[in-house]
Amino acid sequence: MRLRAARRAIATAALLLCALPGRAEDRSLEYAVKATFLYKFAPFVEWPPSAFDQSNAPFVLCIVGNDPFADSVEKTIATQRVGDHPIVLRRLAVADPRAGCHLLFAAGSPAQTVAQELDTVRGAPTLTVTDSGDATPGIIQFVVIDGRVNFDIDTVAAAANHLTISSKLLALAHGVAQGVRR
Amino acid sequence: MTAQSQFRLVTRYGVWFALIGVGVLLLAGFFVSTFQDRLFEAQRLREVTVQAQILAASVTAPVAFGDVATAREYVDALRINPEVETIGVYDSHDRLFAGFSEDPARPVPPTLARARSLHPDERLTVFMPIRQASLALGTVYVRAAGESVERRLARYASIMLLAIMAALFLAVMATAQRALRSVNVELEDRALVLADTNRRLQTEMKEREKAEEALRQSQKMEAVGQLSGGLAHDFNNLLTIIKGSLHLLHKRLAQGNTDVQRYLDSANEGIDRAAALTRRLLAFSRRQPLSPTAVSISDLAAGMSEMVRHSVGEHVHIDWRLNARWKTVCDANQMESVILNLAINGRDAMPDGGTLTIETRDLPIADAAPYGADVTAGDHIELRIADTGTGMSDAVRERALDPFFTTKPLGRGTGLGLSMAFGFIRQSNGTLRIDTAPGRGTTIVILMARDPADKDRETA
Repeated sequence: MRLRAARRAIATAALLLCALPGRAEDRSLEYAVKATFLYKFAPFVEWPPSAFDQSNAPFVLCIVGNDPFADSVEKTIATQRVGDHPIVLRRLAVADPRAGCHLLFAAGSPAQTVAQELDTVRGAPTLTVTDSGDATPGIIQFVVIDGRVNFDIDTVAAAANHLTISSKLLALAHGVAQGVRR
Repeated sequence: MTAQSQFRLVTRYGVWFALIGVGVLLLAGFFVSTFQDRLFEAQRLREVTVQAQILAASVTAPVAFGDVATAREYVDALRINPEVETIGVYDSHDRLFAGFSEDPARPVPPTLARARSLHPDERLTVFMPIRQASLALGTVYVRAAGESVERRLARYASIMLLAIMAALFLAVMATAQRALRSVNVELEDRALVLADTNRRLQTEMKEREKAEEALRQSQKMEAVGQLSGGLAHDFNNLLTIIKGSLHLLHKRLAQGNTDVQRYLDSANEGIDRAAALTRRLLAFSRRQPLSPTAVSISDLAAGMSEMVRHSVGEHVHIDWRLNARWKTVCDANQMESVILNLAINGRDAMPDGGTLTIETRDLPIADAAPYGADVTAGDHIELRIADTGTGMSDAVRERALDPFFTTKPLGRGTGLGLSMAFGFIRQSNGTLRIDTAPGRGTTIVILMARDPADKDRETA
C-alpha cells in the first residue's frame, strides 16, 4: 500500500507539470505546455516526401495570427529536430500558402479568422493545430480537460492534407473525429 | 622406484590427494555456478531489454504529451512479469514520469541520474531511450529482479551435493587407503618375522641333519666295530680249528699215519661254518636269492624239532604247540634259519633255564587296525616263539632289529640273528613284532599272509 501511495505521489508530481488551475497567472504555464506539444506532434505525424525539398530541409513551424505562446515555443524548439530536419519557427500575421508551413498553429487575428487561416492550407501537407475553444478545429485541436491539456484529432482532415497520424498519438488523443471540420 | 615405494607414496599422500581433489571439485563447482549465473543473467538481461524496448516504444506519446495515466497503464502491464523488479519512465528532463518498484527497499529513483548512479553494475539494468522519429523523449529504466535465494540455492544445491558426495567418496577412499596401508605394514612386519623364523628353522634343520649324519656315522662305526670284532672272533675260532686240524693232519702224515679222516672232517666242518657265516651276512644284506614255495610252518617246525632240541640244550624245556594248518609262501631254508635263530636267542635269554614255547596257529584277521600299518585284513599264520627269560629294556628293544646290535658278549653273537630274521620276514611280506619287558621274557610274533593258492584249494 505504501508503494501504491508512493506511486500516486509521483504521478501527482508529474501531473503538476500539466495540471493547470484556471488562475490568470497560470495561463502562461498552460501555453508553455501547449508550446512543447506543438513540436512533439511532429514525430507522430508522417508527411508526404514532397513536403520536404531535401532530406535535411528545415521543418517549418508557423504561428499565424496573435501568438499566445510568448517566447515558449522558441525555448522548447531551440535544439530540437524532427528526424533530420531542424525546426524553424515562423510567425505570420496572415496565413500564406507559399510559406511552406509543415505545422501551422492557427491563432486567428483581426485580419484573418482561424477558419480563413485553415482554408489557406487546405489540401497542402500541413498539420493544422488550433487552440482549445476555437469554433473551427484544425487537424489537431487542443482541449483542456480537468485542468489538463489534451487534444482532439480529425483523421479525415489529416488525410485531406496527405498526412498520416501515428496510432500512438491517436490512442492518446482525447477524441478522434472524422470530418468534424465545418 | 619400486612398486612398493610407489604404493607407499600413494598411501602416505592419499589424504592430501583427497583434499586436493575436494578443493578442485569445489573450485570447478564454483566456476560452473558462476558460469551458470552469468548465462542466466545474460538471458534475463536480454528478456528485460526486450521488455524495455517494448515499453519505450509504447510510452512515446504519453511521455511526449505528459499523459501519466496512460503511461502508468503501460508500465503496470509489465508488473505481472516477475523478472522485472523496477521500472522507471523518465521524461526528456530526466525526471521520473511513471514507474514502480517491487522492492520496498529500493524505490524507483526520482531522476535518471540517480538511477544511473545507483547501478554501475549493468548486468541487471537496462536503460532504453524513448524516441519517436529520432526525437528523444525520455528514457526507460528497467531493473531485473535478482534471482531469488530459493532458486539460487536450488541451483547451487545440486553442485554442492555433488561436491559433498565426491568429498565423502574421496574421504572414504583415503581412509580405506590408510587402513590398507597400516594393514600392509603389519603384514610386511609379519612376513619379515616369518622369513626370520624360516631362516632359523632352516639353520636348525641343517644343524640337525649334521648331527644326525654324525650320529649315523658313529653308529656305523660302532656297527663296523662290532661286526669286525664278531666276525674276526668267529673266523679266528674257525681258522684255529682248521689250522689245528691241518697241523694234526700234517703231523700224522709225517708220522706215516694215514688215519686222518677225523682231521679232514674237522677242517671241512670249520670251512662249512665259515661258509654259513658268510651266507648269513649275505642274507642280512638281502642279496641272497630267495626261492619261495608254499610252506606249512607247522610241518617245517616239526621237521626241525631235533635240531632245535639239540641247539637249545638240556636245561630248556621246549613246548611245541603247532596248530596252524594253513600254508604261506616263503623260502623254507630261511624260515628254518629264522626259527633256529630265534630259538637260540630264547635259549641265550634263559641262562638259568626255562621254557621255550614255539607256537603256530591260523589267524583270520577281519580288522587289521590293532596289528599295525603293515598288516592287511585277511587270513594269516601266526608264529610265536616265546621264552621265559630276562626280557629286554625299552632301549634294547628299540635297537633289537638293528643289524650288528647284540647284547651278547663279544664273540658270542654277530648281532645279525634278529635283524636277519626281520629282513627275511619283511622280504616275504610278513611282519615281526617283539613283545617284551624286563624280567617277563620275550615273545617274537611273526605274521605271514596265507598262501592264496592254499585258500583256493581249501574252498575247492
